[in-house]
Amino acid sequence: MLSIYRLPNMLPGEKVVKVMRRDTFILFKKVLLFAVLLILPLVFFYLVLSTNSDFVSSEFFYPLLVLGVSAYYLFIWLFFFFSFIDYYLDVWIITSERIIDIQQKGFFSRVIAEQKLTRVQDVTSETSGMIPTIFKYGDVHIQTAGEVQRFNFQEVPHPDEVRDLIIKLVQRKRKEKPQEEF
Amino acid sequence: MTFSLSIFLYLYIAFLVMWFFLSLSAIYHMFKFGFKNLITFLSTFIFIIISIFLLASSYYYISEIDWKTQISLFEGIFSRTLEF
Repeated sequence: MLSIYRLPNMLPGEKVVKVMRRDTFILFKKVLLFAVLLILPLVFFYLVLSTNSDFVSSEFFYPLLVLGVSAYYLFIWLFFFFSFIDYYLDVWIITSERIIDIQQKGFFSRVIAEQKLTRVQDVTSETSGMIPTIFKYGDVHIQTAGEVQRFNFQEVPHPDEVRDLIIKLVQRKRKEKPQEEF
Repeated sequence: MTFSLSIFLYLYIAFLVMWFFLSLSAIYHMFKFGFKNLITFLSTFIFIIISIFLLASSYYYISEIDWKTQISLFEGIFSRTLEF
């Protein structure tokens, strides 16, 4: 289990500056989809019962209905939990020494990449579309000199502030350690 | 064509087994890769509680059904004589 106070390969004196996930609006969209899926069978039953009320009392259809409804709700509940995990386990961490990109790709694949702040070459923030502009979320692209050349913070809140923060930390780090290779 | 209703129950049990393993896998992921904080524990706890509620209410309705009932479908449709 990850701890914010004990990150993997933590350097001496390293402090966590910011921990980010996708914007809350992304989670809200998932909850909204779940709510729609929750109501859908109720609408279906309302429509079916209003036209054919014998349907539920049938000795063939009633057991199928019970099993179908049970399987449906168990499935969408698990689907929602998966969806929440996908949101919750995608984390971007900015520390005083490095940036860490932790991504859950699907359910059985996980990618963790990190790069020292001194190797950051270029930081770009991008907000495109009406909804991201209204809710102030977007992407931050970080170009580095490392093996993973481009870090993408996806749909994070206030991308401009994140870009400014990274640039400020990089400049401070370069002043502290001007001899380090960029 | 006559068959027992229990066929559907067995299919449902097969679904439940798959669902159970996927749920365990989800909980494992949460504890293995999630942050050690209240959200991780609370969300997993809510998932388990609601799952138990869904399983218990499913059991309540399923246990009321007589699964030995034989169902006949499409019987006699091919032996019907047409009147002209």
